[in-house]
Amino acid sequence: MERRTATSLLGWGVLLLFVAPLCAGFLGTLLPAFGLVPGLAETEGFSVLFADARFWPAVRLTLQTGFLATALVMVLTIVCLVCVQRTRVWRWVLASLPPLLAVPHAALAVGVLFLITPSGWVARVFSPWLTGWERPPDFWVAPDAEGMTLVLGLVVKEFPFLLLAALAQLPSLNVEASLSIGRTLGYSPARCWSRLILPQLYPRIRSTLLIILAFNLSVVDMALLLGPGNPPTFSVFLMSLVNDPGMRAAASAGALILALGVFASFVGLYGLEQLISLWAKARRANGRRGATLNRWRGVGVGLVSAVLLFSVLGLVMLVLWSFTRRWRFPDALPQQWSAAHWATRSDVLVQPLVLSVYFAIGTMVLAIVAAVVWLELERLNRVPQINSVWFIPLLVPQVTLLFGWQAVALLMGADGHWLTVLYSHWVYALPYVVLILATAWREHDPAWHHAANTLGGGYWRVLSRVHMPLLAKPLCQAAAVALAVSVAQYLPTLLLGAGRYQTLAIELVTSFGGVDRRVIAALALMQSLLPLLAFFAALIVPWIIMKPRARAWQR
Amino acid sequence: MATLTVTSLSIQLPGGQPMIDELSFSVASGEVLALTGPSGSGKSSILAWLTGTLASNLKSTGTATLDDIALNPLSTEQRHLGLMLQQDYLFPHMTVGQNLLFGLPPGVKQERWQKVCRSLKAAGLDGMENRDPATLSGGQRARVSLLRTLLSEPKALLLDEPFSRLDSDRRSKIREFTWQVASDLPILLVTHDADDIPPAAKTLALR
Repeated sequence: MERRTATSLLGWGVLLLFVAPLCAGFLGTLLPAFGLVPGLAETEGFSVLFADARFWPAVRLTLQTGFLATALVMVLTIVCLVCVQRTRVWRWVLASLPPLLAVPHAALAVGVLFLITPSGWVARVFSPWLTGWERPPDFWVAPDAEGMTLVLGLVVKEFPFLLLAALAQLPSLNVEASLSIGRTLGYSPARCWSRLILPQLYPRIRSTLLIILAFNLSVVDMALLLGPGNPPTFSVFLMSLVNDPGMRAAASAGALILALGVFASFVGLYGLEQLISLWAKARRANGRRGATLNRWRGVGVGLVSAVLLFSVLGLVMLVLWSFTRRWRFPDALPQQWSAAHWATRSDVLVQPLVLSVYFAIGTMVLAIVAAVVWLELERLNRVPQINSVWFIPLLVPQVTLLFGWQAVALLMGADGHWLTVLYSHWVYALPYVVLILATAWREHDPAWHHAANTLGGGYWRVLSRVHMPLLAKPLCQAAAVALAVSVAQYLPTLLLGAGRYQTLAIELVTSFGGVDRRVIAALALMQSLLPLLAFFAALIVPWIIMKPRARAWQR
Repeated sequence: MATLTVTSLSIQLPGGQPMIDELSFSVASGEVLALTGPSGSGKSSILAWLTGTLASNLKSTGTATLDDIALNPLSTEQRHLGLMLQQDYLFPHMTVGQNLLFGLPPGVKQERWQKVCRSLKAAGLDGMENRDPATLSGGQRARVSLLRTLLSEPKALLLDEPFSRLDSDRRSKIREFTWQVASDLPILLVTHDADDIPPAAKTLALR
């Protein structure tokens, strides 16, 4: 076989490994939904699903929380860009983004609950001196029946994600110049943003917004922690069905409906986008300059600061509770500190940590290798440049793919195997790794290669001694993201691991409510620390790699 | 007759070193003042200071007036200073006509559109109102950019090397076009190129 063909096949192999479980997962959901899998689902599941009294309330709750959270994330991102840039708060916003992005959803959800429950820190800070409460009040509950606690958690977690996506696009939009030109033409900064920058920015962050919408409509772990129990969100309702052996068809039918619902939401969002675009186009050139922003700027800065402060305080709560021995209401800080339960409950803490680390390192290595293979072959024109395929696992609800993947794994006897779990983590981490590395790989100046080649360097030598060190920064960032994605995986580990792998994500969600609050805090803290350490390493390692070369150069 | 006056302008770099020290000048309507000097001498910073967009890490003192109105307390959008930069910055999500409408003050829709068409015709760009700016040549883009600035009815014009990206043939034509259409405004021109400076202009060389 020709060498060129063999290397092309390697690339296509990577793509096949990525696409195969997605196709199998979809088929594994589709066929049982119509009762076409003997032994697993022999009657169609739609009629059972529609007859369930929880169906419509769960749909209503999901639409309410999913759309509201997504809209708030979008509004908050715009407010942040328009009002907070060029203020003193901006540097704090930028500094808070990496930790908030790194922290897994479930861990942040626990932090949010530690803040807003009736016995939470917010009530403690204002008690008893302002509220008069000597005991936790009983006139509100968190999670609440309308899902507002879940909305808050989703906003807190997804807002940094959309803001980061927007910030990555701003340099290519000449924002400063557009603002200067717009303002010297007499327009207020808010009008410059709404008429000049946002119409160009939105198409570039649309895919991220769709990912957020899909996530908000189908999230399971955060909904289990922050969502109401009766009715639950639609995904949680489906999880209760899939755990019932006789309800596989109904669960699969529900997973299909969820996927269709998410797709319909994308279409709906596109329609809304067109309407807003028509309205904006009609107003864009009407010449009205708008009032200055000063009155509202303070409100915007306050709102963004409050959300970010709330998020960071949620993380602080994890630290406080995990080292608490005694903390009575309404004290704002613990009366007694202790690290004893870190040792006494090591049975709950150590095993999940070790398992999470194994899966995370495996996922990280495999995802980096696969992404580098694909992008390197793309650079050599052995495989085409494709972007849309990598988005599939991010846009299709996890429930839809994983119910089917689990069904296929059951039929193949592969469920509960560690390789299946690792494979699922890899499928969910690879898109982020490819998308992060793609920009750096494609923009990398080929002159470096040519220069190294003319100095006598062969392909592997140039790749390992020139290309990879120059791209050490994005490689380390991608590795950290892969690790963070793996540590956060709840549903793939639960469904494909057949409950055999108690990772931190699984232990945290399943233990919540039944285990001591201090142990929960310790679990959430450990789940947060792993990606935080990885992101810290991603800052340090490229510096270490490049420093000896810089020193050698100076000598 | 509008006059742009700058008095005792000083700008300091973050380390405290002076970039501009006690600079004063004035430009009356119909006059061109060319600011020349090497890179880093502070030419563009003077324009940024005048428009209120000077980088926050640079310290500045001094006053600017336009028509005897102090500019310093006003926000950028209230200063009525037209600005043209090295790049034309035609907004890519708007047609040529919409770019010009964006510059025009509000008013009756048809009248505004007619004004846009008339100004395009006067600039030799007749019938280009529905064109995508990306399809225009460099010279055409420069003319549209200048028209957009002038349609916003500025009281003074600030030009930051607006001809430097054009080839020599287009450059002389756009220069003539600029001096012609902005002949009733005070013009402050930042340039590296002595050819950009009109014969009757005053020159202020910065070090």
